[in-house]
Amino acid sequence: MSGAKVEATEVDGRRVYSVRAFNQGVATWLQRLPTVWVEGEVTELRRQARWATVFFTLKDPESGACLSAQMPRGTFDALRLDLVDGERVHVYGRPELFEQRGDFRLRVLSIERYGAGAHLAALERLKQRLAAEGLFAAERKRPLPRIPRLVGLVTGNDAAAKRDVLSGIVQRFPPAHVLVAETYVQGPRAAVTVTTAIRDLCARGADVIVLARGGGSFDDLLPFSDERVVRAVAGCPVPVVSAVGHEQDTPLCDLAADVRASTPSAAARLVVPDLAELRSRLDRARKALERNARRACSRHAERVERAHERLRRAPLLALERKRARLDKAHGRLLALSPRATLERGYAIVRAGDTIVRTPPAAGTAIAVDVADGTFGARVE
Amino acid sequence: MNAGDGRPAFEEAQRELEQIVERLERGDVGLDELTTLWERGEELYRVCAEQLSSAEGRIEELAQRAEDT
Repeated sequence: MSGAKVEATEVDGRRVYSVRAFNQGVATWLQRLPTVWVEGEVTELRRQARWATVFFTLKDPESGACLSAQMPRGTFDALRLDLVDGERVHVYGRPELFEQRGDFRLRVLSIERYGAGAHLAALERLKQRLAAEGLFAAERKRPLPRIPRLVGLVTGNDAAAKRDVLSGIVQRFPPAHVLVAETYVQGPRAAVTVTTAIRDLCARGADVIVLARGGGSFDDLLPFSDERVVRAVAGCPVPVVSAVGHEQDTPLCDLAADVRASTPSAAARLVVPDLAELRSRLDRARKALERNARRACSRHAERVERAHERLRRAPLLALERKRARLDKAHGRLLALSPRATLERGYAIVRAGDTIVRTPPAAGTAIAVDVADGTFGARVE
Repeated sequence: MNAGDGRPAFEEAQRELEQIVERLERGDVGLDELTTLWERGEELYRVCAEQLSSAEGRIEELAQRAEDT
């Protein structure tokens, strides 16, 4: 359009422009205007996935004056503003005439939310949306490792927060390993660098992540409520401790974190155990172990000694029992012997080894058993 | 607990010793077996006692070492 020649024709002594030429002329002239910031309220926001352009009207809240505005959808979405009608914004753009229709509008290059109220409302909407997704749910919270192998610390460079966390960790647990990722902690690049740092620290083996940032203004803390950061915290494969801002600030990353620490020093106390206390507990456990080992040993010894004692007595006992049984058998044997008969006056006559049952030849030597003994005789 | 040199483990030896004692006390043991079992019992007792005193010695040693650290 620029450079197109705007020519008028002479009609009855007037210079007359065609509509097209007029619009072209105005459009060309408008292009010479500077790019400016305009403040207003967003109304009639129209954004559709199949449209290449987002349209809205910027309205002056006091006078009601209106200004049509449009912005490429890709640029609009990249701002991640999550705008709704009625929000106060600062819009950066150039005035432009749409020649075919003679429509005047602002071609928008960037939008910034303006005013804490609007920011708060946007934050509240994001919070509701993420809460509905369950990102802040209590059952998602994971316990921190008792003794972390590697603590990943995301913090600003040279920040007091960094110093507080590091000194807190080293004081409580000197052998701790900490990997520090320094990021922007405010401004437009903060959200992306924090998100990247969390992923990076996980990839490098951190088994707990600490997000530390000291206090700051509402705007300063906004990156820690950025949807990307909140999702990175919620989706982090290892537990996250969030220590961002002061006690009264609640950036959304605090809600998504597994544990919230009120200060960076408190975060240090949460991620590592107190070595001195650990030592004394270990010591107590060692003493108990020794005590129990001794006790178990002496219990075994008693049991073995008892068995041995019984073993000592057992063979004699067994022999006695055998003897008793033998004596009993012997008694019964005796009862069955002819002795009792002899007592009644009978005698047993033997010749050699044979008991005499028929009269032997005269002169045969015999032995006669009577109750009280045996005597020899000769048959007549 | 098996010492790995063919000696029975403590628990095994202890169990066998107690079984022998019970058998002897029950008295259903043949006379010739009586002495064999008794000898075996004494042998097992010796094994147990040796292992116990070596365990006690080891506990003393470890306790001493723990004391020193």
